[in-house]
Amino acid sequence: MAQSVNDRRRINGPEESFPPVFDDEDDDEFKLKTQRKRGPGDIRPIFLQPGLISQANGSAYIETEKTKIACAVYGPRQSKTTTYSEKGRLNVEVKFAPFSCTRRRAPMRDAEDRSIGVSIHQAIVSSIRLELFPKSTIDVFITIIENDGIEGCIASGSLAASTALADAGIEMLGLVASCSAAIVGDGIQLDPTEAEARASSGTVILACMPALDSITSIWQSGQMSADLSLKCMEQCYERCNDIHSIVAQSLLEHRKTD
Amino acid sequence: MASDILLPGQPASLSRGPVPKLGGGLYLKDGQVRASLVGVAHYEGSTLAISRVRSHPPAENSVVLGTVTRLSPLQAMVSISVVDGVPLPAGEEFNGVIRTQDVRATEKDKVKISDCFRGGDVVKGVVISLGDARSYYITTARNDLGVIFATSEAGASMDPVSWQEMRCPKTGRIEKRKCAKPETL
Repeated sequence: MAQSVNDRRRINGPEESFPPVFDDEDDDEFKLKTQRKRGPGDIRPIFLQPGLISQANGSAYIETEKTKIACAVYGPRQSKTTTYSEKGRLNVEVKFAPFSCTRRRAPMRDAEDRSIGVSIHQAIVSSIRLELFPKSTIDVFITIIENDGIEGCIASGSLAASTALADAGIEMLGLVASCSAAIVGDGIQLDPTEAEARASSGTVILACMPALDSITSIWQSGQMSADLSLKCMEQCYERCNDIHSIVAQSLLEHRKTD
Repeated sequence: MASDILLPGQPASLSRGPVPKLGGGLYLKDGQVRASLVGVAHYEGSTLAISRVRSHPPAENSVVLGTVTRLSPLQAMVSISVVDGVPLPAGEEFNGVIRTQDVRATEKDKVKISDCFRGGDVVKGVVISLGDARSYYITTARNDLGVIFATSEAGASMDPVSWQEMRCPKTGRIEKRKCAKPETL
């Protein structure tokens, strides 16, 4: 907390600030369990638009109800490190905007940013043909403008990153689609929002390349039985095929208008 | 045709039986040719490829244009800004090096770097190898490679007189450079 006092680049507010307290905190959970507006197997509608950041080599903006993420890709550019590497490097940096969460986040990068960066890195790194870019680095910068659950961020971030890489003309083995699921009671709900994920007992995030029928990464957190987690993965995988067609469609439309 | 645009991972529809030679933008996996870029696959001679419009890092035998940044007795350091005719985005230049033995094809041991290049010269070269971690190795040992644009000490842009000399139009003075043969000659 002492760091925010020393942040001379910004006008510092009070060291500690709290959101206003509303009366009905008990109703939230009740509302949740009865009021998921979509079915358990439905994901939130995705809006995906590549090519919005003209300065970057490739970019994508993804919006699913309350999750808004912008992704910019720079590269391949010369690696600043002194070690020679035969394969290219992928560098994923995630940043939360201070206004992205319900409680204001300090503009510093902390452990949560880095762990999301690691998850997205794992999801997309096996889809890029890094052996074609020796001594080069591909930088992926992800800015989370509005955050509605970490699982949604990781899934949408991986989609945006893959679309931005295709937009940048970087050679890939396939497009990556990603979906998350949460275990609520005994049921599986796909694409949980933050409130749903908090009320759940465990979550699974799956990233795959439907064109090649292969999975790139699976993150599971929380408590669930082995076959429940397998069922989650199967449902996520099926949904990823639909998501993949959304990504394909947005890239084709963007290419036609170019 | 717009419907022929391939996406990464999408199999390319091939008419003939044997797999053709693959150029950039396509790869072969499990006997199936798939695209790795967004674009239309077309035949360039006998090679099937997807053309890339974006800039890419230098590879072996890439023709590069660069600006000389530093000179040392053994090599000239170059900042590569154009690769194979496609300019790199500003600020994303690659580093290259022209060693004395790669400046010209004859009398390689008698090369004086200051008689071949000066700081600020625009040089056309060909990449011979990936080099080390920091720079690519470039050669100018061909008639059409070398300095294509240089400013004289008086500040005017010079014209090449021979492969070893350039002349300043303002003062008429001759300065030594390893010049590239102009394409119109």
